[in-house]
Amino acid sequence: MAARAFRWLDDRLGLTGIYRTIFDRKIPKVNWAFTLGSATLFLAVLQGVTGVFLTVYYVPHPDQAYESVNYIMTGVPFGWLVRGLHHWGATLMVITVVLHMLRTFFYAAYKYPREITWITGVLLLLVTLGMGFTGYLLPWNQRAYWATTVGTSIAGTVPFVGPIIEQALRGGTDLSTLTLTRFFSAHIWMLPAALLGLVGVHMYLVIRLGISHVPAADE
Amino acid sequence: MNDEQKREIDARHEQAKQHGVKFFPDIIYKDMIAAFGVFVLLLLLAVFLGVKPEPPADPNDAAYVPRPEWYFLFLFQLLKYFPGQIEWIGTAVVPGLAVLALLLLPFYDRSPFRHWRRRKLALAIMGAAMAGIIGLTIVAAVTTPPQEETAALTSLGDRLLAGQDLYSIQCVECHGDEGQGGEIAGVEGLEGFLMKPMNVGDYMYTREDDTLAAIIAYGQPDLGMPPFGKAYGGELSPGEIQAIVTFMRYTWDDRMEIPQDVASAGAVPALAPGEIPSYSVHIQPIVRRTCLSCHREGKKNNNYLMGSYREVLDTGDNSPVMVAGDANSLLLRLLRREEVTEIKDLDPMPPARPLKPEWVEMFELWVAAGMPETPVPATGAAPAATPTPPVTGTPPAASLTPAPTSGTPTP
Repeated sequence: MAARAFRWLDDRLGLTGIYRTIFDRKIPKVNWAFTLGSATLFLAVLQGVTGVFLTVYYVPHPDQAYESVNYIMTGVPFGWLVRGLHHWGATLMVITVVLHMLRTFFYAAYKYPREITWITGVLLLLVTLGMGFTGYLLPWNQRAYWATTVGTSIAGTVPFVGPIIEQALRGGTDLSTLTLTRFFSAHIWMLPAALLGLVGVHMYLVIRLGISHVPAADE
Repeated sequence: MNDEQKREIDARHEQAKQHGVKFFPDIIYKDMIAAFGVFVLLLLLAVFLGVKPEPPADPNDAAYVPRPEWYFLFLFQLLKYFPGQIEWIGTAVVPGLAVLALLLLPFYDRSPFRHWRRRKLALAIMGAAMAGIIGLTIVAAVTTPPQEETAALTSLGDRLLAGQDLYSIQCVECHGDEGQGGEIAGVEGLEGFLMKPMNVGDYMYTREDDTLAAIIAYGQPDLGMPPFGKAYGGELSPGEIQAIVTFMRYTWDDRMEIPQDVASAGAVPALAPGEIPSYSVHIQPIVRRTCLSCHREGKKNNNYLMGSYREVLDTGDNSPVMVAGDANSLLLRLLRREEVTEIKDLDPMPPARPLKPEWVEMFELWVAAGMPETPVPATGAAPAATPTPPVTGTPPAASLTPAPTSGTPTP
């Protein structure tokens, strides 16, 4: 019965094909440094899950953002843990992303045929930093407010387009409700969308090309 | 890279795969162990370090030292080396080139070699860049001054206490220590002005918290009240104004009830029979509520400061204002509002209205006991020796009761 049900599903979903392409493929013998990519992916998923939980209570408005975060910390059961995981997950993710990049660089894995994998990887690093930058403002506390004031004013010093970028980031001349809502939007919609797309391409290429092997001395 | 090299690389990879393992279960198993390790580390960080509480955003507090997330510190530090006109080099050119260099790496690093021994230059450049980033991060972390620990006032008790202290410093001179108002004395420009009471239901019922905060922040210039908000030239941040409003609401609005445990904190405790008053328990709360508004740095006060035990004893142009056991000490005479003729220009203290009689008595007992800083264990010998009747006029020195021997002055 189970076998028949599986066959029925397999005929329609192509499960065996998926298993053969993704799970049953041969991979070069590699060391522990090659687990950094999947550790990063794991952290990204965890950030997504904890982030979704946080949006249940978080209110992106200057009058309520601080209080709502306070409520998550004190009023919601295990809210402090979820926020703690999200907070430290960001830090760990930046670390694993950078180490993952350094590993790739050290083994020259960015060379033929993995150039596009590398480029999507660099873009993913930038998106991760962007997530950190936009997420930092959301608790609307002193640290958040002033770091973002300085951060956005740095963008304003870029020649010619700087003032426009600064205005666009802040939604005006000063930090306001508009700044908070657009950082929130960037943090939970735009950047995650970019992240999802880039991770998709990155993963497709990793599976298609297979991970690089540890180069021998004569390579 | 020519086709032959590409074929060579593909062949090498194929070979490595033949000697390799299956993605499932070997690689997945390793990945899951790594992810699990990361998760345990994350859990430890979240549980044991947690997220530090921070005060709410205060757009007027320009004194706050901005601190970006740690992984942006190096960028922050880099900018310091490109001041003024060339700032854009640090903000746009250097980071822009770095990102471009990283993105286009596979296109300009054309060498076919992969082993590190044959890529020493590339590794040296990346190593230098990473060392630079780590170095800048360390310099930034070391040189950014630590933020003054302005712990977030989250509990009602904390806010009430902070509000009371701020009220005592900023408001007491005109509004009185109980918000009772009355005739203003000793405030430049407002001498003799009659202040309406705030400590009545009427006043508190008709003003929302936001209104009170706005009045404190903007002041009421037409009525003589200066602005207190930082944004308008005063000394108070919005958080501090909120604390004062909270204090006012809970103290004078009879619809509000302060929880019992909160109420006892910061109050001046009554003396038990035979108890010797001490600075930390009795005198300090009185001083904070009634004296400190003037007797602090930057006010006209004959340089008599009352911010700490030491200052209360030792500062002032007419120091010492208290002598252990001397009921005729200058401070006590001023508190009893006696005429002091031998020193010019001394007003009774506090200038506007007398201290409550029981508080004056507390001071007298305290001086008689030698001004102890911390509570003295009662020996039982004290009560008989310390009756100090409220006296008017300077009592003859001979009538002084001897200082009780139990109260040895604490150094």
